Amino acid sequence: MAGMHFIFSDQAVLLFDFWSVHSPAGMAISVLVVLLLAVLYESLKVGKARLLLQALMSLSTPTRQQLIEETDQDSSSDSLPDSRTHLRWFMCHFGQSLLHVAQVVIGYFMMLAVMSYNTWIFFGVVLGSGVGYYLAYPLLNMT
Amino acid sequence: MDHSAHMGMSTHMGMSDMNHSTTMPPSHHHPTSSGSHESMMMPMTFYFGFKKVEVLFAGLVINTAGEMAGAFVAVFLLAMFYEGLKIAREGLLRKSQVSIRYNSMPVPGPNGTILMETHKTVGQQMLSFPHLLQTVLHIIQVVISYFLMLIFMTYNGYLCIAVAAGAGTGYFLFSWKKAVVVDITEHCH
Repeated sequence: MAGMHFIFSDQAVLLFDFWSVHSPAGMAISVLVVLLLAVLYESLKVGKARLLLQALMSLSTPTRQQLIEETDQDSSSDSLPDSRTHLRWFMCHFGQSLLHVAQVVIGYFMMLAVMSYNTWIFFGVVLGSGVGYYLAYPLLNMT
Repeated sequence: MDHSAHMGMSTHMGMSDMNHSTTMPPSHHHPTSSGSHESMMMPMTFYFGFKKVEVLFAGLVINTAGEMAGAFVAVFLLAMFYEGLKIAREGLLRKSQVSIRYNSMPVPGPNGTILMETHKTVGQQMLSFPHLLQTVLHIIQVVISYFLMLIFMTYNGYLCIAVAAGAGTGYFLFSWKKAVVVDITEHCH
């Protein structure tokens, strides 16, 4: 198994057989890719929450009684027919589940990338998480 | 999941007696310039296979397609159970936070009047049953999340797909009517 400590190196094999890095330029590109992956990960978290909020604000369903906080247009009229409402909620929830799968997979990919014990990659993941958080979280409170 | 990958490394050290057909050279700090890593004991890239796949414990080795199918189903159900456990814990936490303490205290107001300011505290007692139950469930959740991470770390394509699909299906089924309060700051959530 690879050495169990962080090293600075231009050689690495990340995740897949074809992703083998052997030059500084390749390493720079790999760090960039990993950084973007981390940004995507943070955005997915925010995306899931926003999708939920959006669905709640545009649907008036019985589930809203269980829900708290910001969603606050109180349109209490149940004007939409039930089947259409349920279908929209189903589609929204299905979309959220897909985002969740993507989030789980990307989270594991980031963990495996850090497991390569390459310090540049590690910096890329950490920096990407920071940048992703910085860019995505303000969008959470935007209406 | 708020754990680091390095926790899983110590478990892999104990698996050093894996029976692999390729010989293992002494591990180098810097990989050879050929870039080939097939001689590494533990796979470091994704692969699809079902021969000699060791999963978590010393006796759990997959050798046939049938065993791999069984392992796929088991991992799928484990990931689904993990998602369900997360949702269940959130629900239990909300239900048990019924003890609300109101604490009123007088504070000076703008015109020299005295205003009553009321503080509301929501919480659980330490030795109450809901809190103990939450703790036990938390331990189970942490253990399962580490198991899922270690399974993903086998780099076996089938098992990784099982983890992802199980997580997605579990999320879909269990948070159907979930409440909005989502703790998205939880890592890997």
